[in-house]
Amino acid sequence: MSYYDIDAILTDAEKVPCKFELDVPELGYLDNNPAQPLKSGTTIGLPLWLAELLALANRVPSTADEDAKSFVSLNLPPALSNEVMSALKADPRAVPLRDQSHNFYGLGTRMLDLFEEKEICAVLRRTFVTRAADIALHAGKAGATDDMGVGAGEEFLRGLEEWERKLFKKAHDGAKGTKEWMEGVKKH
Amino acid sequence: MALPLPSGLVPAEVAFLCEMEMITIVPRQRLESIPMLSGNTPALRPPRRADLPLWLALLLKKQRRANIVPPPWLLPASLQEIIHIETNVDPQAFSPPPPPPMRSDGRGIARPYAVTTTTTTSSGRGGGGYGNANGRDEDPNTKELILAPPFLPSCTQDAPSGYLPYHWLEIAETLLAHAADDIPNAPEVRALLRDLQEVRAAKMRGSTQHLEGGGGVLNLRGVGAMELAESRGFVLGVVDGVRKLGASIEASRREEELERGDDGGDESDDDMEL
Amino acid sequence: MHGDLGNKLVQQAKRTQNLAHLPPYQTELVRAVTREVRDLDKDVAALLEPFQGSFHPTDDQAVACTLLVNHLSMRRNKRCLLAYHHTRTDKLEKLVWKGYDVVDLAGQQVGDGSVNAGGASNVANGDGSMNNLSPQEEDYVRQYSDLLAAYKGQWTDIDLTGSLEPPRDLFIDVRVLKDAGEIQTEYGQFYVRQGDVERLIAQGYLQKLS
Repeated sequence: MSYYDIDAILTDAEKVPCKFELDVPELGYLDNNPAQPLKSGTTIGLPLWLAELLALANRVPSTADEDAKSFVSLNLPPALSNEVMSALKADPRAVPLRDQSHNFYGLGTRMLDLFEEKEICAVLRRTFVTRAADIALHAGKAGATDDMGVGAGEEFLRGLEEWERKLFKKAHDGAKGTKEWMEGVKKH
Repeated sequence: MALPLPSGLVPAEVAFLCEMEMITIVPRQRLESIPMLSGNTPALRPPRRADLPLWLALLLKKQRRANIVPPPWLLPASLQEIIHIETNVDPQAFSPPPPPPMRSDGRGIARPYAVTTTTTTSSGRGGGGYGNANGRDEDPNTKELILAPPFLPSCTQDAPSGYLPYHWLEIAETLLAHAADDIPNAPEVRALLRDLQEVRAAKMRGSTQHLEGGGGVLNLRGVGAMELAESRGFVLGVVDGVRKLGASIEASRREEELERGDDGGDESDDDMEL
Repeated sequence: MHGDLGNKLVQQAKRTQNLAHLPPYQTELVRAVTREVRDLDKDVAALLEPFQGSFHPTDDQAVACTLLVNHLSMRRNKRCLLAYHHTRTDKLEKLVWKGYDVVDLAGQQVGDGSVNAGGASNVANGDGSMNNLSPQEEDYVRQYSDLLAAYKGQWTDIDLTGSLEPPRDLFIDVRVLKDAGEIQTEYGQFYVRQGDVERLIAQGYLQKLS
């Protein structure tokens, strides 16, 4: 992952629920309430670029018997909730992943780095592989008919998150290259 | 600036390389040997057959100075046999590539097609019935063979029927486009090729499905150059995605293994002290 | 919240990646993001002011938390700004390799033949008179073009910016679309060697007949 990677930067903007573990007078604006202090126990959705380091930064315990704690504690985002996971287990193809998150798998891998969730990892893998076969089918058709992003192709693309759109483009370009050569060979 | 092409060969490049494949022609005019970087072409004397690179064969065909002899695997019976293998014999895998060519050593024993063989072939080869006698499995004494696909002359008249060579799709399409009159029953060949292409494309699309449970990609043995160029981006994309999704679990698994290994080491150290 | 404007810039960059041309430079947005960074820096200074240089995170964790948030916001904005500009220079380099020069890219009228042969004016970006480049980007394109020309100049027999498509034939038939003056290749005027006329095709003077 490069520092300039646009997709990584956009994935970094995906929000995750964070519970503040202390009062912070200056940060009321994060909860859309600049006049009020941010109270301990408040949960707000913060982008990963903020949430991850707030959760990882250890603050020094104020008393000797207190454990070292972080500023916020993280939770799994709604896109990786039990409901979504159950829906994906039932039928990976029936869920419009893009509605969950534009960077669904990107967000998933970031959360899997922070939480050890073998179950989620397995569901994401199965979802990705199962949907990939569908993507190959649609992209192949689109590439062979020059139907990129119009008609049925567009409808299908709408439900795909970013990794899947990239995959679609690769499969589409491959089919298109072959088709262009096959048509060219006849003319020549 | 980085090369604006995807990694690996793109279809147009594959088709270009395919033009170096050797193919058999029947010359209609005399033509002296031409010295080229890749070696001298054989002198053409009608009606004696000769093997030429595809690009030259096509040029002579267009100038009506030669007819092309289609490779045996491109005949309808051969294509039907391959479709049968793809759909009935082993519906999970791609049909196998041509076996390493053998030739008779004159004493009734088949020998590997050696490197010394050049473009002039056909003589001393036991009537072209090689290959099948040895079955589809590789003969153990072929391990010294230096020639291997895609560098075998697999599109000449001596190529075995019933096997698709590395450049099958490009050769077939090119010949149908420019030498259809030299191919017996060209419309049927065209239809059979479409079927074959579809069956194999479906297998390619499904090639990654075993990745979900930690299995590998489908064995790609026998897949042609054009098929690889078409699907390379997709298959690598899926493999890479699965790798990224499993990266954190994999890392923790390795850590555990390492810890277990260390513990084991400590114990044995203790034992030694005792 | 902080970082929202930066995110807008990156979304612009994402769109740019998928476009054939370069959309207008977001002067206002870039200015707003840099302003946000300056404001955050002022906030940090104001927060630290009462401590007179002796701030201990342990003593005042709320301030420590605010400082961390401000710091991360500035860092985020910096990454967004750099990535936005990086995406655009990437695109500009690609276009220069394709034969566009600064005049085409800035969307101005192409002067008569005095501009060196790189001008692909017939395919210049959509909205004619608008200048889509920042002054710095114009300068970047100018210098990058010079660099590329110097690099290419080392080889006279091979055109580094030529087509990457393998040829189907050494010779091709062409149709003349625009008056390009008298051009005589080694082989003739209409049935020519592809490599000899590739540049003229790219510039829109000739059309290749299949």
